[in-house]
Amino acid sequence: MFLKNRHFSIVTCGLLLAVVAGCSGSDLPDSFKARFVYSDRTEGLMKEAQNGVEDLPGVKELLDERFGDPQHLLAWSQLPVDFGGLSGTVAETPAGDVVKDLKLNLSDSFTLEEGQTAVAQFVTGEAAPAVVIITGWDAEKSEAILASAMETAPAQGDLVVIGAGERLQTGRSLYMQHCSHCHGTSGDGNGPTAEYLYPRPRDYRHGVFKFTSTKPQSKVSRDDLTRVLRNGVAGTYMPSFVPMLNDEQLYDVVEYVRFLSMRGEFERKLAGELSADYSQDAVDARKADGESYKDIVSELKDFLAEDMADSLEFVSDDLATSWTEADTDDALITPNSPRVPDSPESRRLGRELYLSKAINCADCHGVAGNGNGPQTTIYEKNPVTQELYSEPGLHDVWDNLNQPRNLTYGIYRGGRRPIDLYRRIYAGIKGSRMPSFKNLKDDEIWHIVNYVLSIPFEPEPGHAPLPAGDVATASNN
Amino acid sequence: MATITPAIESHSDGHSHDHDHHEIGFVSKYIFSTDHKMIGIQFLVTTLVMLMAGGALALAVRWQLAFPWESMPVIGKLLFSGEGGQISPEFYTMLFTMHASVMIFLVIIPILAGAFGNFLIPLQIGADDMAFPVLNMLSYWFMWPAIVCFGASFFVGGATAGPAAGWTSYPLLSALVESAPGSGSAQTFWLLGLTFVGVSSMMGSVNYMTTIINMRAPGMTLFRMPLTIWSMFITAILQAFALPVLTAAGFMLLTDRILGTCFFIPSGIIVNNAPETVGGGQPLLWQHLFWFYSHPAVYIMLLPAMGMVSDMLACMSRKPVFGYKPMVYSMAAIAGLGFIVWGHHMFTSGMNPALGMTFMTSTMMIALPSAIKTFNWIGTIWGGNVRFNTVMLNCAGFVAMFIVGGLSGIFMAAVPVDIYFHDTYFIVAHFHYVLFGSTLFGVFAAITFWFPKMFGRTMNETVGKWHFVLTFVGFNGTFFPMHLLGIAGMPRRYANPYLHPYLEHLLPMNQFITFSAILMGFAQFLLLGNFLYSMFCGKKVGRNPWGANGLEWSAPSPPGHGNFDVPPVCYRGPYEYSSPEAKALGQDFILQTTPPPEMPESTPEPASA
Amino acid sequence: MKKLWALFFFFWPLVALIVCWIAPDRGWWFPSEAKSPLGSRIDDLFYLILVIVTVVFIGTQFALGYVLWKGATKEEGSEAYFSHGSHSLELIWTVVPAFVLVFIALYQMDVWAEFRVKSYYPEETLKDGPMMEVKARQFEWRIRYPEPGKDLQNQPQPGDLYTVNEMHVPTGKPVKFNLRTDDVQHAFFAPQLRVKQDAVAGLIIPVWFMIEEAGDYDLVCAELCGWGHYKMRATIVAEPEEKVAEYIEQLQADQNYDGVAADEDDE
Repeated sequence: MFLKNRHFSIVTCGLLLAVVAGCSGSDLPDSFKARFVYSDRTEGLMKEAQNGVEDLPGVKELLDERFGDPQHLLAWSQLPVDFGGLSGTVAETPAGDVVKDLKLNLSDSFTLEEGQTAVAQFVTGEAAPAVVIITGWDAEKSEAILASAMETAPAQGDLVVIGAGERLQTGRSLYMQHCSHCHGTSGDGNGPTAEYLYPRPRDYRHGVFKFTSTKPQSKVSRDDLTRVLRNGVAGTYMPSFVPMLNDEQLYDVVEYVRFLSMRGEFERKLAGELSADYSQDAVDARKADGESYKDIVSELKDFLAEDMADSLEFVSDDLATSWTEADTDDALITPNSPRVPDSPESRRLGRELYLSKAINCADCHGVAGNGNGPQTTIYEKNPVTQELYSEPGLHDVWDNLNQPRNLTYGIYRGGRRPIDLYRRIYAGIKGSRMPSFKNLKDDEIWHIVNYVLSIPFEPEPGHAPLPAGDVATASNN
Repeated sequence: MATITPAIESHSDGHSHDHDHHEIGFVSKYIFSTDHKMIGIQFLVTTLVMLMAGGALALAVRWQLAFPWESMPVIGKLLFSGEGGQISPEFYTMLFTMHASVMIFLVIIPILAGAFGNFLIPLQIGADDMAFPVLNMLSYWFMWPAIVCFGASFFVGGATAGPAAGWTSYPLLSALVESAPGSGSAQTFWLLGLTFVGVSSMMGSVNYMTTIINMRAPGMTLFRMPLTIWSMFITAILQAFALPVLTAAGFMLLTDRILGTCFFIPSGIIVNNAPETVGGGQPLLWQHLFWFYSHPAVYIMLLPAMGMVSDMLACMSRKPVFGYKPMVYSMAAIAGLGFIVWGHHMFTSGMNPALGMTFMTSTMMIALPSAIKTFNWIGTIWGGNVRFNTVMLNCAGFVAMFIVGGLSGIFMAAVPVDIYFHDTYFIVAHFHYVLFGSTLFGVFAAITFWFPKMFGRTMNETVGKWHFVLTFVGFNGTFFPMHLLGIAGMPRRYANPYLHPYLEHLLPMNQFITFSAILMGFAQFLLLGNFLYSMFCGKKVGRNPWGANGLEWSAPSPPGHGNFDVPPVCYRGPYEYSSPEAKALGQDFILQTTPPPEMPESTPEPASA
Repeated sequence: MKKLWALFFFFWPLVALIVCWIAPDRGWWFPSEAKSPLGSRIDDLFYLILVIVTVVFIGTQFALGYVLWKGATKEEGSEAYFSHGSHSLELIWTVVPAFVLVFIALYQMDVWAEFRVKSYYPEETLKDGPMMEVKARQFEWRIRYPEPGKDLQNQPQPGDLYTVNEMHVPTGKPVKFNLRTDDVQHAFFAPQLRVKQDAVAGLIIPVWFMIEEAGDYDLVCAELCGWGHYKMRATIVAEPEEKVAEYIEQLQADQNYDGVAADEDDE
């Protein structure tokens, strides 16, 4: 099985559920034998940090035993992911030696058609991690009929999950069909098609998504991901997936994307804990300073034995908190006052703010909004390696060159509704050099929104009066 | 016409003739040979290898359609291990693009004109070689840069990003480097490959025309030429007129891509966030230029097979071709009309709708000569002493398949119906019936028929018949259901049609098609095996194993350098099977070189009516 | 053995005919009957040609089988029929098909004209401007409606409404729209409506159709446009005119949503 009790102790408030591949009722092809790749940061660690010292697991194993591989995804209940499945407990300890039926308390109603089967897995208790196949369900007695007798009898109160991870599996299948050729099997934005696309497909592993409706420090919400799947990202190769996917399927894909993001973020942070002292480069430097390799390894061993548990707890708690928070109302950016009605005056004010020293949109987007401000000609430093990038312009956290939006095209990647532009200004574009302007007053942001929306239609930005018809149109809004 | 007096003396010249030839080295005999027969065989072997390569690409396409996004055998492991062998969509677009390109440019066109044109033209008209032997050699060796360019296009843009704009390479997909993974250097190499194929064909075409016009044996009047020669002649003319247009268009596209000209690129287009195009061009121009060549090219890919099948049907039915002159005129009509029907590929393209009507009428008209030919083939078999051997079966297969391909064409010629069928699998079914069903069955027959002349041995009958049956069954299992897919509205070139609910139920049929295609694909190993085995171990035969009439059968098998041991003289048409003259000799055939019992005093022998 | 081969050539057309015969019942046929009047006429033409072609198919394949059978059953040693052809037969099988082909060609001109030639368009489509702009791009359909009460302009206007992959059209009246492409060539293909028109870079092509029956219809791409060609799936929603107006109104409200208005929900 996929469960190893030895490492269970590390996972303090969570439990692991194995997702058995290919057992769900989905008729999507399930036979991809794909694999997750490890991040460069992980691969850059010294071998022992990657693979473990003696019986202490390294980063790779710690990651794999929480997330699995594409064929055998694991559902780590610590994560705020809706893995799918129906959970419940054993209602009463079965009498007799041969356990062929079982009374269950389930969290939701459950039906099983004649001739169908369901897979249930025991999560706690003596019987765990046994997997049983349910061939019949008596709804009145809430009793499950099992395909074969159990080896170890479960006890009352044991946790059991029926159809564990079905949602994640469907999400995985859909992801492999629709998304993986750009975003990659691991969500590293490096599928076979990726290298030909500009901008590059998102690498989820930072846990950062650009176009969100959430506060500057918040993660992406499920609604945001769904909206991107629905509308696509105009001006990029991310197409709309409606009507290809229905609502249910969109939800499944979103859950899988969140799962991959959390996996990537978990790996990133875990490797980050070690990389200062145990990356290949750090080790080389330490050796140059006279430390012996043996000492480094034994220090690493101590770290893994004593401090790793805390690190894991810290990282996973952080993940759980931040991803949960993103879906709350607190995280959502809601303007305090409604949009300032669009008017030449408002646009003029917006234009002034756009050019002002304090906000200085023009520094990147250019005076005329062509996306060619002075910042686009400066060579930036890579914040990690401290080396200059090879091409001038702004770079995002994925090290990709990011052209500031040409506002004259009227293409808005994060959406064209006033609220979308408001949120873009309020929260910035996460991971990119577009900063948050959350300290601006609501009205100020709305003026800028009104101005930005008018840029494609004004022959002389901010100067030429609008044709009468257009002003009338605008005031209708 | 000048009086044709058979040069009796030439018989006695035979000996001195032979003396001119010396032993030639291996390289100049088998590799850089200027002998039309060797060049023909080189073409044949090369194209058969390419046939297998193109077939493999087709099977990969079929795999994806039957088992979408599932691990692809071999290729999946090699290139897409991280994705569990699941190919990427641009790889799929590359597969069908290269399947079509290889099959059309490296198999069908060269196997007909290159292999059989080369081998048969001098032999059938009684010449000792082509008019320009060195040019002929060059035409073969210009195939190789083409093969290298097409081959290189698989990987120059990245292992998974071969040319992916379809064999039609419509701009802007093919013109803008950014518009697809395969539109980068891969597309450039593809265009270069196309240019080399063009050069090679052009050399061949000039050579064939000159040879046929100038080098016919005494007595070989135009209307005594076998239909094979007529078809090669007409094909060569077609090529000479149509090909320059494609070559020019190809160069224009190349300069659009490399030098920044904008023949096919309108202004203000932004693809993949590349700089806006400067523009001024028109993508439809490419379609006009491309189809101005490529529609005649369809006949370039068919007419020679028609000619050869006419020859073989007459021989295997022991009967003259039914309506020799109508056959010739039909071919000429097809060639002529072939130049004014290109617009039927563009009914839905947005060109002037009035043109649509014109093209529809001309397209309907081109069905007429095709129909006449079909009736004449059936008429040829009618009442004959039919020999049911591999040659005959493949020829009958040719006729049967050509009927289907011709009839399905009528649906598409009707513009309103084409609105629906354009770019669906109906089209795929149609052109495979014409190009594979007709041309390739014709080629299979021709390989078997002229094999004794090429190597002095016959091919194995049993294996040949098995090959025919398996190919025929596999072929129809593959392509007949495609008509139905087309009627069901399944568009071409979809990596995964089942995303669309109205096509979901077609998966089982696509799987059936794929299994049939695998059967058909593997059946070709029988052909290759038979070919190789018989080349060295086949039954040895004499000059005229089939009892045929053509000049080539009076030459030794295989003919030596210079072809004929005596310069041949032609006394009659090529199809005088079972004629009274033949009966007088106690046989059912009479070679074109057999002198009539009594030499007429001074009047020329009229071509047999 | 000879007879077996002759029968082989009788046998396969028979299989082909049977497959075609059972095809409609098994779903190997049109996705549905044509849902637009012009589409029905296309179907009628298809069936007309199908009948002609079937007759010719049976005739020629039978003839081929027959002559092969005659060849197979010919007595050993008997002579082949020596003939170079028959002038009158040639004449018959030239004139008859020519007549049929010309008939087909002329018979369908008006369907084509109505689909593509502007002066034959239904009157309503000539009176009103195009209802919307359908812009294909790699790999989706972006649709732009003019602001209610305004005419569609070729250049985007401030009040324009945008959707993706969903096209709402009124039932019972001809709908005309402008077809364009943002990048490479695409083709607008609505299988149930039997409408297909390429979208060519640099051209604005008017297209019209009419749907009688409310419902959802498929819209796909039928011209290779790159690796995501197969992904370009969209829906044409045909509904009564009032509903379309409501939809447009809702679209306008959504597009102007500023996150505060109480009656809106933010997805």
